[in-house]
Amino acid sequence: MYGLASADPLLHQFFHPDLSFSNLRGLLIPALETLEMASAAVLFAIILGLLLGLMIGARLPGARLVYTALASFRAIPDLTLAILCVIVVGLGPAAGTLALALFYTAAVGKIFADLFASADRAPIESLQSTGANRLMVALYGLLPLRRQDLLTYGAYEFESAMRASIIVGAVGAGGIGTELVSQINSVEYSKVSTLILILILLVALVDGLGRLVRRQPKLLLIFLFCGVAAAWANRPQMFAARHAMETFATMWPPALPQEAFSKVPKLIGETLEMAFGGTLLAMILALPLGAAAARNISPVYISFPVRRLLEALRAIPEVVWGLVLLGIAIFGKTSTGIVALGIHSTGTLGKLYAESIENVPVEPVLAMTATGASRIAVTGFAHMPLAFAPIAVHSLFRLEWNMRAATVVGMIGAGGIGEALFNTQQLQFYNQTFAYVLITWALIMIVDRASGRLRSRWGIVQIDV
Amino acid sequence: MLEIDDLVVARSEKAAPVLDGISLKVRRGEKVAILGPSGAGKTTLFRAISGFLPIRSGTITVDGTTVNGLHGKGLRDLRRRIAMISQRHDLVDRLAVYQNVMAGALGRWSTLHALRFLVRPLPDELAEAEHALQKVALGRKLRVPTSQLSGGEHQRVAIARALVQHPQVLLADEPIASLDPVLSGEILSLLCNLASENGFALVCSLHQPEFADYFDRVIKIKEGKIESDVARLLQRPVEVGV
Repeated sequence: MYGLASADPLLHQFFHPDLSFSNLRGLLIPALETLEMASAAVLFAIILGLLLGLMIGARLPGARLVYTALASFRAIPDLTLAILCVIVVGLGPAAGTLALALFYTAAVGKIFADLFASADRAPIESLQSTGANRLMVALYGLLPLRRQDLLTYGAYEFESAMRASIIVGAVGAGGIGTELVSQINSVEYSKVSTLILILILLVALVDGLGRLVRRQPKLLLIFLFCGVAAAWANRPQMFAARHAMETFATMWPPALPQEAFSKVPKLIGETLEMAFGGTLLAMILALPLGAAAARNISPVYISFPVRRLLEALRAIPEVVWGLVLLGIAIFGKTSTGIVALGIHSTGTLGKLYAESIENVPVEPVLAMTATGASRIAVTGFAHMPLAFAPIAVHSLFRLEWNMRAATVVGMIGAGGIGEALFNTQQLQFYNQTFAYVLITWALIMIVDRASGRLRSRWGIVQIDV
Repeated sequence: MLEIDDLVVARSEKAAPVLDGISLKVRRGEKVAILGPSGAGKTTLFRAISGFLPIRSGTITVDGTTVNGLHGKGLRDLRRRIAMISQRHDLVDRLAVYQNVMAGALGRWSTLHALRFLVRPLPDELAEAEHALQKVALGRKLRVPTSQLSGGEHQRVAIARALVQHPQVLLADEPIASLDPVLSGEILSLLCNLASENGFALVCSLHQPEFADYFDRVIKIKEGKIESDVARLLQRPVEVGV
């Protein structure tokens, strides 16, 4: 049933995007909606996340509780949040904005808290020794010391929210994502590839904006204005408080019927298979691509095109690859998940591996080169062992990310816990939906903890993005 | 001004003490050098005085206030009176020089005052920063980003910040560790002159004995214990612990 034969006409369509004026004009509004969702959500997330991060960084009362809450909240996949938000504010961009705002507040808050916690202690202690209170130490120490990192990670989160706004769109939360699902359902693959091209352009645009803001932080004021305008444009038109309360009430107590319960280990197995398989596939592909993209070991005529390829792979979220691959039906369900996760993660890991190789200390490399060793030998015996620690950390973080992504890809039909969760929500078996949400949450928390332990055992501390 | 009696400090409850039975008194305006090799316990002593480390036994008193067990506002009030500069780069590089200098006033400002100063400093606050910088011969560097300073200038700005704090005790933890001999001499004579001018007690840790000449008294520490306590001008040993 699966194979290239059935895929051939669809693939032909896919590789011939519809770039007609009428099609592009029709996509202007969804593209703007996506941009608005991402900027409004990130604005909200950065303001609230910064306050929460500062609260944790300054060790104000309740900081530990807030940190635990943020870490737990981050374990709920964005698409799951989008489903819950649709229940509250109905279909459309408002639900998408709300889901992204909640997800990214937790993400930004936790990252900023980690950044503040790892700030250089010497200046902090010297500020404390003047008798300054915790808030003053945060204002005069933590914020200026971490300003550049805050901008970098803030920009990274904006780029990430841009891709995620496609994901939440897939459940009718508006923007390109909703458009994408409708085109796949109508088997219009030339329009699907057009949408993917627009997405790549949008991500590149956000990436460029991020770089600009890092050089000129005052531009953030323009972003602030755009974010407020976008939030206003996408404000909820309805707030179904009663409906939401009634729906959420039916979720309690979480329960699974006997036949569904017996399938849970298999579903968990499928989700783990996708997460581990996707990460492994990405690691295998990203290692040579990352080395080829590293500017200190590869000539520019190789590193430049490989970097562009990695950017393109990274720009398209797992869920889009999942939707496309499921539509084309080349692979089985779980394999589709593995490939979808693998392709996107190759883009991300490839870039991070390249940066790890580029950031190795110069002295040992020079010492190795001075022995007369060949370029390949220097790469193998100096660059690679020196870059091993960051490469291992990035891979572990990717595995944590892919646990969430495996649930999301599952929701669009690749199997596992995600698919079961989505199906019960569609059938309005809300107590079962909630049971699957809890299982997903527990699974992600366990993998996060295990990965964190592994990292600390290896003595590698790095900011979790 | 500063009185330490039979002080014992350890890194953890079960660990062997880093400071073991330290007793000393420093008078107002007195300039004391603490000499000792790396790991002797000099930094631990300073951090214990500033309330950054728990005390296992013994007492530390600063102008009548006992440091033991202080926390919250009480600890902050104590720290206001003890300025600290160190060998480490303890300025905030991302701030301008005047902001780092006026950080010395944070202990007496309200949070809103501190926030307002970051956004819009008043002329008299800038004048105070400039005045402190002039005392360390850096009057022209008021608005320069701190990241652009050299090692010696960095240390001078830390001293200017300590001056703005109007301390009763200035603890200088190896302030010349990363400076060349000429610059080291300049910084030490500056610190001693300021201590005489402003009347604060100066306690300065060093590991180079050749710089002990700048001080009224030299206390040698080895393995967490006082080895000798010599009043330099009298050229005779005084009783340990006095």
